[in-house]
Amino acid sequence: MSDTILVSTRKGLFVLERGVQPWSVKQTAFLGDNVALSLADPRDGAWYAVLDLGHFGNKLQRSRDRGVTWQEIAVPAFGDAEQVITGDGKPPLPATLRLIWALEAGGPDQPGRLWAGTIPGGLFRSDDHGDSWHLVRGLWDRPERLGWFGGGYDQPGIHSICVDPRDARCVSVGISTGGVWHTQDGGDTWAQGASGMRAEYLPPEQSFDPHKQDVHHMVQCPAAPDTLWVQHHNGVFRSDNGGTQWHEVENVPPSVFGFAVAVHPREPGTAWFVPARKDQARVPVEARVVVARTRDRGRSFDVLREGLPQEQAYDLTYRHALAVDRSGDRLAFGTTTGGFWISEDQGDRWQMLSARLPPVYAVSFA
Amino acid sequence: VAKIVLAAQLARWLPADGGERETAWQCAGDSVREVLDALFVQCPTLRGYVLDERGKIRRHVAVFVDGTALSHHSDLGEPLGGHAEVHVLQALSGG
Repeated sequence: MSDTILVSTRKGLFVLERGVQPWSVKQTAFLGDNVALSLADPRDGAWYAVLDLGHFGNKLQRSRDRGVTWQEIAVPAFGDAEQVITGDGKPPLPATLRLIWALEAGGPDQPGRLWAGTIPGGLFRSDDHGDSWHLVRGLWDRPERLGWFGGGYDQPGIHSICVDPRDARCVSVGISTGGVWHTQDGGDTWAQGASGMRAEYLPPEQSFDPHKQDVHHMVQCPAAPDTLWVQHHNGVFRSDNGGTQWHEVENVPPSVFGFAVAVHPREPGTAWFVPARKDQARVPVEARVVVARTRDRGRSFDVLREGLPQEQAYDLTYRHALAVDRSGDRLAFGTTTGGFWISEDQGDRWQMLSARLPPVYAVSFA
Repeated sequence: VAKIVLAAQLARWLPADGGERETAWQCAGDSVREVLDALFVQCPTLRGYVLDERGKIRRHVAVFVDGTALSHHSDLGEPLGGHAEVHVLQALSGG
């Protein structure tokens, strides 16, 4: 099990550790600054933090000593000629980095490779641990990109990147709003893969258009990479064939709306969701924080609530704010109101972190 | 030569190199662009805080030249006076 959790919040990066006390804040970094996302690279142990500085743009920091010292590194940048053209009628705008919305390590055979998904919809690759970044033109130059549009943000964004453990050249990305895309050659060529997803928010004749699916988050089972799970704007979807065809899972209690999804590292049929009332409301159903878990590929669900607040709770869990560790037993999630809970038993029981955190954007085990 | 004054909120992101972070710099150049470029030679990481990747002043950064705010659409290449004072601040918007 992992005994360290990185919590990215509106007011800094918090490092939680399990010690004599069950869990506590061991250290902080960038206290007061907006940390949108963090990554612990499983290959070399490096930590990365995305700082979304309101005035001064997005920055990336890297630590090679588990958060003791940090070094500013490069951020992805769009060239002068690049434009953001969207499918929802907004006027074209120059492409500039709005947010690093996804950050993932490449394969064990690709030391130094990192992938970064951004708003406004560019995927970037680094082969030197983030010292330099290159726009992945194979995806950016797809004509279908011009039909993407923003979900919660003004511009489309790539928030999910899944690197296939069998072959790290195979990468899948989830886009809000632009469906799912796959590459099998490290990013040179791409294919759309959101068939079967259904968008309630579109005119009926367009509802199955794969290019207009608002994927909120996508995860891939490490031990069975043909299984992927998606929490979508109006539902939950599962793929059994590597993300080409998707099946709607309609019975997630208490709501199919939400942002976060996690999949068990070895059991592809086991996944967790943190549902909320759709979609303008975005608060827990009946003001009760619950986690929905399936162990049978979505045929049935348990509603897990032991240790979670069951009255007057208005916590929303963002897409990167639910994580499962390598064991598959330990889970953690944090919320917009700074609530934070950890489970040691796949979600059966939850323990609240006693710290009162700032709004939580992202959670990952290190 | 112009004097460039950085807001403390901006200067805090400069590498300290063991000493104090400077908030006031003397930079040679005949335009805002040139004096900023001269500053960025000394502080390479600062560029991305003041300008976006297209070289435009960031949306929530304000640049004052001798007390007058530059428009974000203004030409950074316009000539500066002999002893101009350039203040780089965070705008009171966004953030």
